[in-house]
Parts: sequence; structure tokens; C-alpha cells
Amino acid sequence: MLARAAVQAALATEGVHSMGRGRFVEAATYEGGEKVSGAVVSPEELEIHIVVRYPLPEPIPEIARSIMERVAPQAGDRKTVVVVDDLEVTEA
Amino acid sequence: MRVFNRIVLILLFAGLFVLGVYTVVYSFNLFGYDLEDLPRALGVSGFYHGLETFVENVESGNLSVLTVITLVVIALLGLILLIAELKPPAPRRVRVQRGIYVSRGAVADEVVAAAERTPGVLGTSARVKARRRPGAQVNLEARVRRGEDTSAIQSNLRRLVREHLAQRGVPVSKLNVKLVEADPRRTKTRVQ
Repeated sequence: MLARAAVQAALATEGVHSMGRGRFVEAATYEGGEKVSGAVVSPEELEIHIVVRYPLPEPIPEIARSIMERVAPQAGDRKTVVVVDDLEVTEA
Repeated sequence: MRVFNRIVLILLFAGLFVLGVYTVVYSFNLFGYDLEDLPRALGVSGFYHGLETFVENVESGNLSVLTVITLVVIALLGLILLIAELKPPAPRRVRVQRGIYVSRGAVADEVVAAAERTPGVLGTSARVKARRRPGAQVNLEARVRRGEDTSAIQSNLRRLVREHLAQRGVPVSKLNVKLVEADPRRTKTRVQ
């Protein structure tokens, strides 16, 4: 259930528009019989792909750090990597 | 490098396959050939004799200057290819900090957005390269009207792009700006 928890944590973070799908390889994990897009879970690493909302509420490293803090309890010993796939321009 | 590797491997494996099949067929002596006749059967007698002469010259230490130069060039080429092969591939994403990455496309979009707000710039295109250390290498090409003050536009562009990316927390390790004079009728923006 880690991929799903990571996606929920990321989407709940301010500045995240949606989950990214990966640019070269699809970023997804099969979990509980369905595909969870935007999170790639491996035994060593948790990779979270996001699309950030523009204008940004705070710089990208701050948004990424918030996501990392949110998923840290579920990620355990895994190294967490946040990848910004795109920026989505939204009306202010 | 990957395409080059594939071509080399395809040729190598095709050669090994043909040679293997040919040797097996040959070993059964189906066509009455001797091993000594193999170069003639393959139609490479000239090459074989040249090779024989070359090996004899190597053994007797009687190589011409041109041959030595050719061998050195081949060795250097091999060394360059070996180093290129051993080098780890360039990263696909721009490293912002430890564990935080931004795709090259997203950085390029931001660069273009900043550059197109610069006064005097009629259109831009950006290419972003990721490096192993944090920061992106940005190659920006901006189109300007003929007769504009290019040095002022260039310094403005550099400042605005760096500021824009810094606000977003994306470090720039190298920013190359190239200005190209263009006809405003053929650019995205006519007046800036």
C-alpha cells in the first residue's frame, strides 16, 4: 500500500497539481491489483513523480521536501526521490 | 553511443554466425576444400597475403613509419571508444538537491518562459542537459530583430533566466546564450 500512500501524501501537499507519469518510462506501480500512477516502489527506493502547480507557492525543493516528510513514515528505510515531471499553469 | 554499440554488435554477431556456420560446413569437407584453400574459397586471397606479410614484418621488426602511425591511431581510437564506453551515461533529469529532480523538459519550459519575457526577444528555443552534479546546463537560442543592442539583450536574458530559475529552486550550472538575428515576420512575436 506504499505507492497509494505516497500518491495521497503527494497530492495533499501544497503546490502539487497532479501525479506525473514519467517522461521516458511510465512511472507506476502495480499494487492491490491495480496500477498506481506517479509512484515507483522498489525494495531500496520510493520514486514519486509529480506535476507542480504554477505559480509555485514555494520553490520546488521546498515542495519536494514537504512530500518527503509526509511519506517518510511509510517509506521506512527506502530512499525517497521526488521527480518533477512538469509544471502546470493554473489560473490564479 | 548506444546506436553505435548496437551496429557494432550486430555486425560482430552476424560475422560470428556466418563464420561459425561456414566453419562447420567446411569441417565436413562437403565441397572438397582444404583449410589452406579457405582464403581462396572466400575470395580474400589478396587480403590474406597482405596479412601474412604484415605479420612477418611485425615479427622481424620491419614496419614502415606509416604502418606504425596507423597502428598508433587505431590504438588511440580504441582507447577513446573504451573510455566513452566506460563513462557512466548522462543523467536524464536535472538534479536539484539530493533526492530531488526536475525533468529536462520542465526546466526548458521555464527557461523559455523567462526568456520570452525579455525585452527585445522575439522567440526562443532552449535545450537543457542534465549533469551528474546539481544544476542544469542550459543552451538558449534567442531570436532578435536586426540592429538591436545584442550585448544588452544578452545580459538581460542571462539575468532574467537565472533569477527565474532561482525563484523556482532550480540551479543552473552553465548558461549558454546565443542570439540570432531574425526577420520579425517569421518569429513567434513581432514586437517585444
